[in-house]
Parts: sequence; structure tokens; C-alpha cells
Amino acid sequence: MSELIAELKVKLIDILNLQDVNPEDFDENGQLVGGELGIDSIDVLEMVVMVEKDYGIVINNQEVGEKVFFSLANLADYIEKNSSGSLS
Amino acid sequence: MTERQVYIGGAGIVSPLGVGLGATERTLLENRSAIKPLELFPLMQGSPLPVGEAGGMTRVSVLPRTHMLALTAAQQAMEGYNHSPDAIVIGTTTGGILTTEELLRSNEQKKDLYRNHGLNTVVSFLARELNCTGPALTVSTACSSGTVAISMALKMLRRGQVEAVLAGGVDSLCRLTYFGFHSLQLVDNSGCKPLDRNRQGMVVAEGAGLLLLTTVKPQNPYGVLLGAGLSCDAYHPAAPHPEGTGAFSAMQNALADGGLSPDDISYINLHGTGTPDNDLAESKALHKLFISLPPLSSIKGASGHSLAAAGGIEAVVSTIILSRGLLPANTGLQEVDPELGLTPLSDPLECPVRAVLSNSFGFGGNNGSLVIGKADIFSGPVEVPSRRGLAIHGYSCLTGAGATAASITRMHDGGSVAGRAELDMISKNLPPRLIRRLKRLPRITLSLAAGARGNPDSVFMGTGWGALSETCDFLTRLKDSKEQFPSPTDFVGSVHNGPASQVAIMFGATGPNITTSGGDYSFEQALFAAELMHDESAGPAVIIGADEGHDIFSPLFDPSIEQGSTLADGGAAFCVNRKTGGADCSISIPYYESSRADGAVAALVDSLGGVSFLQNSCALILAGIPAASRREGELQLEQFMAQTKLSAPVLRYRRLTGEFASASAVAAALAVSFFETGAVPRGITGRSEIVIDSRMNKILVLGFGSYITAMEFSRL
Repeated sequence: MSELIAELKVKLIDILNLQDVNPEDFDENGQLVGGELGIDSIDVLEMVVMVEKDYGIVINNQEVGEKVFFSLANLADYIEKNSSGSLS
Repeated sequence: MTERQVYIGGAGIVSPLGVGLGATERTLLENRSAIKPLELFPLMQGSPLPVGEAGGMTRVSVLPRTHMLALTAAQQAMEGYNHSPDAIVIGTTTGGILTTEELLRSNEQKKDLYRNHGLNTVVSFLARELNCTGPALTVSTACSSGTVAISMALKMLRRGQVEAVLAGGVDSLCRLTYFGFHSLQLVDNSGCKPLDRNRQGMVVAEGAGLLLLTTVKPQNPYGVLLGAGLSCDAYHPAAPHPEGTGAFSAMQNALADGGLSPDDISYINLHGTGTPDNDLAESKALHKLFISLPPLSSIKGASGHSLAAAGGIEAVVSTIILSRGLLPANTGLQEVDPELGLTPLSDPLECPVRAVLSNSFGFGGNNGSLVIGKADIFSGPVEVPSRRGLAIHGYSCLTGAGATAASITRMHDGGSVAGRAELDMISKNLPPRLIRRLKRLPRITLSLAAGARGNPDSVFMGTGWGALSETCDFLTRLKDSKEQFPSPTDFVGSVHNGPASQVAIMFGATGPNITTSGGDYSFEQALFAAELMHDESAGPAVIIGADEGHDIFSPLFDPSIEQGSTLADGGAAFCVNRKTGGADCSISIPYYESSRADGAVAALVDSLGGVSFLQNSCALILAGIPAASRREGELQLEQFMAQTKLSAPVLRYRRLTGEFASASAVAAALAVSFFETGAVPRGITGRSEIVIDSRMNKILVLGFGSYITAMEFSRL
């Protein structure tokens, strides 16, 4: 799990271009969307694409999306629970 | 002043609803949806999404589909009118992109095949076909483009400089918009149900809707264009303001512009895209403006959302509504969303109609509303057309040499500033969080807007090619992922008005926000729009011209940029208002005509005050001759100098700026810098310094080539 969280921190900083955030400063329990990082609906969609592309998990339901992207920890949890157990 | 009624003398339409007014009316009367699965282009995988495809486009042409849609509507609108229009204003976001997508996929490198890519090629094509030699302008404000184009035509006609203008919107389906809206999860896979409790989004469509507007009363006018209102949410690049504040002010401004009250409106044609956010925001704006709502509906459940064309198509539909007394139903609606508090028409309704309010709202919070009424009922506008000329209170520029001071200093020495500034340098004064998703053009634009100082309410931006990085990256990732993973970020960033909407967000600029795209005359068109649309009473505006040099796309698209040549880019921004106190100088655009017009150069001289006036006041000429138009441009300049016998020095400014579409914005900044220092230095004149005094007080920035333009800078 902690490996996945560390991996996601690097991925999110990259795809959302969070230039002024270091992986070690990224609070996995902090509010992800609408929080102080300025992450909005377009970023959520970009993360949806990443989750589908890199982990093969489709999120196309707004309610599920709101829970999954509430925090980075939630996202990692969701990926772990929904992947076929073959995650490295 | 004389009141000038603007009549609708002709109307042309091609859309999923049909080709022509009759076919469109029948589809509306049948309350039938024309939405069906995509057939226009093949997909690499998956089943096609529902779209609104225009039928009847069987004419084979090498021209892109957008151009052919526009021509079909234009020929209908011009039927029975025996002259050429004095001007054409077209709203479009797609230009030749459908053709470009196919060329790129086959890795086509022949530059000539991309000659109809640019947005401005649509209006240039119409101007040639209709023999229009007046201004041919392109507006690109996403889904409000057609409406903004019509509102610009209205102002031109009221000002009295033209008698007949063809205006409206056009867009063709293409992969960019089809996959782009899909990537934003804004498409309803089951078809479009605006205002429905279970609405899930829009359906991307295409078409063209054009009006022939004229101040000469036709025998049987379709109606009168009573008013137009524009606004900007200044809130988010893709989502509407949740309270509909921009939508409210666009509608309110349109009513005020036409001298009407909400009670005068018989029917509201909603923007009503069917996305949960749009319909809710629009309903809030409606409740705020109307105490009791007239009948209303969205036709997008029948037609889909044809983006830039929507405003034009719905303006044409409004003329059908007026002339036939037919109110269209809200097609596709099953159960109205109780949260909206609206009662849309469930069936078409035949009843007399006095005035229609038509809404169009777009990405970047670009909003426009039109009021169209029956002729001879309403007394018309009371507006005093705004004066020519805007006062410049601040400016900035950006070139390969760097920011304003570095660029201006080098140009004063006669040195070249051609090149591309480093992205880090461009971004260094911009908040990292604000720009993290922005690529080169929006960063250039924000940096320029911030450097021009002032706190603008309105934004006028000209860009020849728009956000090339975002467009290229979107199409590349689309292809590489076999159409599975298009980027929502790049799609939102790819729209031409993206950079100007970022400026609006940065400054909270809620006034008109217009992006023009006119090839090498893009900045001139932005100035034209600003002079026209910036009301006397309005606060400051920023006028921007900017383009990015893109390794792949610039040499492929821009006729003046050769493959393998060193790229140049940048632009300039100007903080302007109508108050002359403390200003550096004034800026205006007295001339903008096709070089095909008879006696174009003589008309240019006249527009500038004539020979002796010019001889006694013109200190310097900055001539813009794009490399691709060198022969004809040099000839035009030669004719101008021969006719005026001017002794003022002439600087071909592209020698300093390099070749890029909005180089004239940098030339404009250079002109303003001479008013700041009070003299044109030796590095520019090639001889002694020229002092700008109360007599020699004008600098001209002239554009040559397929169009001839004049920007005039005067000491105040």
C-alpha cells in the first residue's frame, strides 16, 4: 500500500504538473480536489484517464469519483481493492 | 443621432435539422431529434457516440467540411440580394481541422495541403465566393462564437460604416471536439435531453447558421436584430459559473442594448446544452432576470450542440420562430428536472411572437445573448455608437529577446528580436498554481496581460493559430492511445479563446471577452473588435496579440514560415480605455479592406486623412509584409509611397520580429514606445532621429498582403 501511495504521489505531481510540490510534502490524507493544491474537475478527469490507463480501472460514475478522489489515500485504496491483485 | 434598425434580410442554415429554412421548420414542427450515431469518420475502436451530423452535404470538394457548410448557409442567406455584403463576420472554432486531422494521420508533410487549416480561411473563402472586399473577420469564443459574430455585425451596422453584413457561426464535426467533449465526460451516450431530471450531457454536432443583416429595410424582413449582450464568467476554463452570473449579465445587457424589458420577450431560446451544470446555471440566471418566464425551450435535444455554429443556427431558428409563429419544443425531454423550476415546451406551439431572446454560452465563460424581434414593433436602440480610437495607458511585449524592456531596447537599436523566449522566463512572474496546466500560448498571453498593467474589465485577443501545443498534444495522444485516452486538459486548452479566458480569470474581467483569428491580421482584428465593442462608459480593456512558434505545426500551417527555419513568436498587450488623460498615445484602425478591392491603396490613403495631411503628420511607417505575400505586399507599399510621396522612413518590421502571425502586435508596441520616449531613434530611421512633436505626431503600422490594414498611433 505505501508503495502504491508513493507511486501515485509521483504520478499526480507529474500529470497535474504540481511543480511546487515534493512527493514527501504531499499529504495523502489531505483534501485532494478543491483543496489547497487547486485541483479541480479537469484534473479529476485527467486522473480518471491515468487510473484507467495505468491500472485498468474505469471510473465513470460521479458519486464513486467523488469518494475515490477525496484524498490520495482513498484513491490508493480504491485501486488496490479493484485491481486484479497483480499490482506490483 | 439617427436610429439605425438592423434588419434581417436573409437567413441560411444547414444543420442536423435539415438544409434550409423549410426543412428546419419541418423538423422542429415534428419535434423530432436528428441525433444519431457518428458516421462521418471511422473510429479506431468502440461504438460510435450519438452526434448531430448535418445531412445533405454531398458536394465533393477539396475544401474542408467547415468551409462547405459555411458556403451552403451563405448562399441561402444571400439569395435574392443582388450585392456583395460589405463585411462578413464568422464565428468558428474548427476551421479546417477535420481535414488537418486526416492529413496528420497520414503523416502528410506537404505544406500546401494544410492551406485551409486556419480559422480565418473559412471567412476568406466566403469573401472570395461572395466577392466581399470589406472586413472579413473571424471570432472564436468557443460555443458563443456565432452569437458574438452577430453582435459585432450589429455594432458595425449601427455605426453606419457598412450597410450589409453576413454574420453567424459554423463548425464541422471533427475528432478534436468529438473526443474532447467525451474526455470531459460531458457527452450523453443516450442522446441529449436538455433540462431533464436524468440529463447526462450534450451531444456534439455541426452546421452553419448565417444572417444577412442590413440597415436598408428589405421588402419583407425576417425580423430585426434588436440587441446583443456579452459577458464573461471569469470563473473557470470549462465550467459555467454555478450561479449563472455571466449568463444573467449577457441576457440583461442584450435587453438593455435593444431598449427592451423582460416583459417584451415572447420566447427564450435556451443555450440548454443538456449538461447538468449548464442547464442549472442558466435556470438560475433566468429566475434572476424574469419575474414571470415566457415560454422557453432548448432545441439541442433535436439538433445537438453545434458549438460555434449554435449561436448562428439558433439565430436563424429565431427568425423562423418570428416569421412562422412557431415555438419549438424541448425535444428529448421526458421528466423536467424540478431543481430548475422551469416549464419548457413539451410540444411545438403555434402562437404570435414579438421578440425572442437567444442564449449562447461557451468555454472560458464566454457568454452572448441576442434579442431578435418582429419588424416595426419596437423602436430600436438608443445607443450612441462609440468613437473611434482608444487611449493606451500601458503596454508590454514579448519576443525572442525577452520581455518589454529588452525587446524594445534592442529594436530601438535596429536589432532583431526574432526567436522564442524560454518558457521559464515567460512564466517567471506568473503564479505557479495558476499556470501549472498552461502551455506556451496561454503563458505568453498571461505574461503580456500582466505586463500591460491596468485592471481590465474586457479582453480582446487576436491569435493567428491559437494554442498549437495543446492542439498538437491532444491529437498526438489521441492517435497514440488508439483514441482511448484523449486528454481533457489539452482539449480545454486547445480552444482559441482559452488564453483570453485565462486573462479574464486572472483579472476578474467580466466584460466582453472576444478572441479573433485573422491570420497575419489577427491583432488588427482584435483592435477592430475592441474599437467596436468597447463602450464609452466601460472600464479599461486589454488588447492582446500573441502566437506561439510550434516546431511541428508552425512550419506546416503558417505560409510565411519555412520548414527548418528558426521560429519566432511572442506578441504584445495594451491597456486601453476612452480616457485620454495620462495616456501614452491613441490607437485606432481606420482601414481594413481586402487588397482585391478596386483602388484599395487610394482608399487607404483617404482613410488616413489624405496626402497632404499625411505628409504633415506622419513620422514613421512600420510596414508588415508577411514572407508569403512579399511580392504583392512590396507592390502595395510601393504604391502607397508613390501616392503619398511621404518622406517618413519605412521599417519592414518583420525583419526585426521574425515571421509570426501576430508580429504586428509587437510593431504596435514599438510604435507606442516612440511616443513614450518622444522620438524615433536613429537605429530605426537609418538617418537622424525624428522627434514626435505636436506636428509630426502620427505613426502608422500598415499591413499588406491579401488584406490591407492601417493602425494609427497619435500623440494625444
